[in-house]
Amino acid sequence: MKELFMLIGFSEILLVLFMQWEVYVTKIVKTFSISSYLIAIFLFYLGFVQKSYLVLILAILAAVLRGFFIPNFILQRLARDPWREREAKSIMGTATSITVSLMIVIFTYVLYELTLYNFVKISFGALPISLIFQGAFLIISRRNTFIQLIGYMVMENAAFLLTGYLFPDLPFSVEAGSVLDLIGVVMISGIIMRMRENSVKKSDDFDELKG
Amino acid sequence: MNYLFYSLPMIASLIGAFLCFVKREKFEEMISIIFAAFSLISAILILFLSDVSNSFFFIDGISKIMLIIISMIYTLTVIFSTTFLKYIEEPLFQKRFYYLLLNLFAFSMFFSVSVNNFGLIWVGIEATTVTSALLIAVENDESSIEATWRYIIIVSSGLVISFIANILIYAATGTLDISTLLSTNPTSEKLLVFGSMMAIVGYGTKAGIFPMHTWLPDVHGKAPAPVSAIFSGVLLPVALYAIIRVIQFSPISSVKTFALVLGFLTVIIASSLMAIQIHYKRLFAYSTMENMGMALIGISLGGYALLGVMILIISHAFAKSSTFFLSGNLFSRYKTTKIDEIKGVSKRMPSTAYALLFSAMAITGMPPFGTFFGEIMIILVLLATMPTGYTILLLSFLALAFISLNFKVGKMIFSNSEGENMERKRVGTIVPIIDTVLSLLIVFFIPWIEKVIR
Repeated sequence: MKELFMLIGFSEILLVLFMQWEVYVTKIVKTFSISSYLIAIFLFYLGFVQKSYLVLILAILAAVLRGFFIPNFILQRLARDPWREREAKSIMGTATSITVSLMIVIFTYVLYELTLYNFVKISFGALPISLIFQGAFLIISRRNTFIQLIGYMVMENAAFLLTGYLFPDLPFSVEAGSVLDLIGVVMISGIIMRMRENSVKKSDDFDELKG
Repeated sequence: MNYLFYSLPMIASLIGAFLCFVKREKFEEMISIIFAAFSLISAILILFLSDVSNSFFFIDGISKIMLIIISMIYTLTVIFSTTFLKYIEEPLFQKRFYYLLLNLFAFSMFFSVSVNNFGLIWVGIEATTVTSALLIAVENDESSIEATWRYIIIVSSGLVISFIANILIYAATGTLDISTLLSTNPTSEKLLVFGSMMAIVGYGTKAGIFPMHTWLPDVHGKAPAPVSAIFSGVLLPVALYAIIRVIQFSPISSVKTFALVLGFLTVIIASSLMAIQIHYKRLFAYSTMENMGMALIGISLGGYALLGVMILIISHAFAKSSTFFLSGNLFSRYKTTKIDEIKGVSKRMPSTAYALLFSAMAITGMPPFGTFFGEIMIILVLLATMPTGYTILLLSFLALAFISLNFKVGKMIFSNSEGENMERKRVGTIVPIIDTVLSLLIVFFIPWIEKVIR
């Protein structure tokens, strides 16, 4: 189990690193799809080993919704506006992105070993934590709303992986509820993204949005 | 049979939402008002029922008060919306879709404060994001859509933190049932501390607590007035409700200190930013943040401060929704959100002006409004438990917030202006006046509130 978790966790990290320096949105979405399928495989294995039908259901949910439905929904949105396929200008250059991403991995490992590991005593628990930080970095470092949404879903996937490995007996209603909420967020985000590009009224009061 | 009563507010808002699909002239308005009022009546009825804790519900005094506040602001918002929506020139969607989302939004808030599972509270609060996001963008211009996007991405990311917090809390206690959490000793106190702190940051994102507050002024600034009112009046307190539960089942000094520090920082940041605001809706948004910071301080102190928090939350809900309704009246007439461009409100919109004056006093904690009593209880507990310097620091920033807000509101109201009377009649001014009066009347219910939450 530990080996599989390690393998899946490292693969997830590599996939997110790939997303960090990729500028073609379609590729990022497909990469996210692969990463979701990997999590689904892990949960399938976990379900079989633990003979838990709830974990198996979660695995199916992960594969169908995170691996298939959500990426396809985004790809369909992208297909309507092919010009959005490539991110024109990101906040950070590729080299900086790579450097920061790798530093996040190291930083998270050190942080985990110094803090959380003392309580949970689980090797490689730093992997999902690192993925969460990578997802957050993806949101911060990109302007494209699709990529920002993927960043959020990477964070969600990481939480899902963390739960699956560490606490597979977490109440199913909570897990299923989180999946349903994710679908809601993606659907609403899809509408907002479309509106963002085709807004009826132009506005000149962006100075107001200073946070 | 009794359990059915506890779910009535949820059922009412859900039925109201589904009936919005019926295509008939003004049907969605009427049906939303009826079911919102029904949810209010059922929330009042629940007050007289005993507390409940079973596999689905956990309804104690705090939940009952939350149900009342949500249903009251929900009802007033629906009524105000019937008159306000006509001022939106090119709305994003049809009116019935607006009411559908508003009803679902209320449902998700009722759900969040009624369930006996911390994980399901998370699901409910995340659902408030889904149901409310499009309401922000009703005015359908670039900046409101941008604010909506920031809301979705910042709040959802914050809620991922609280999801992980839930996992850690589960790891430390082996349960997410609130009733069990309140009576269980954790297997790992350190893990519970870690999870609880993450939960405060995560849910604090939705409550506008520093450092994840940046979505709040954008959304309140760009959302239509009724949506800003319900956000400020009840959505943020619903997120605080989750934090109240965290502190209840994790009454560890380091967790409380962490919450206290965040509360202090929130008050300091919000009060400082209020002094430099040039847009009145953003000014009111920072005022909300300041009040939520005060509430968090009270939650961390516990005891009588928690009573102060509940009084503050109720009174603030009424006063702040009034302020935002009135800001909608101002915007519909003056067509600007800039403070400097609004002059002579007392002459041109007298009812709005005086209601705004009193509601501004209420949200800044002026006696005899309920917010004053809520804040004074929190401050007295702070004074009794912490060195005096903390109280002086807090009071100085509260004074800054008080002066900033009342000075700017006074400037809009009492400045000279030529022009005809352009007061909005009836519902547009009556609803905020009712709200302001309620924020005052709440003072008479303080002994009763104490009885309910103890």
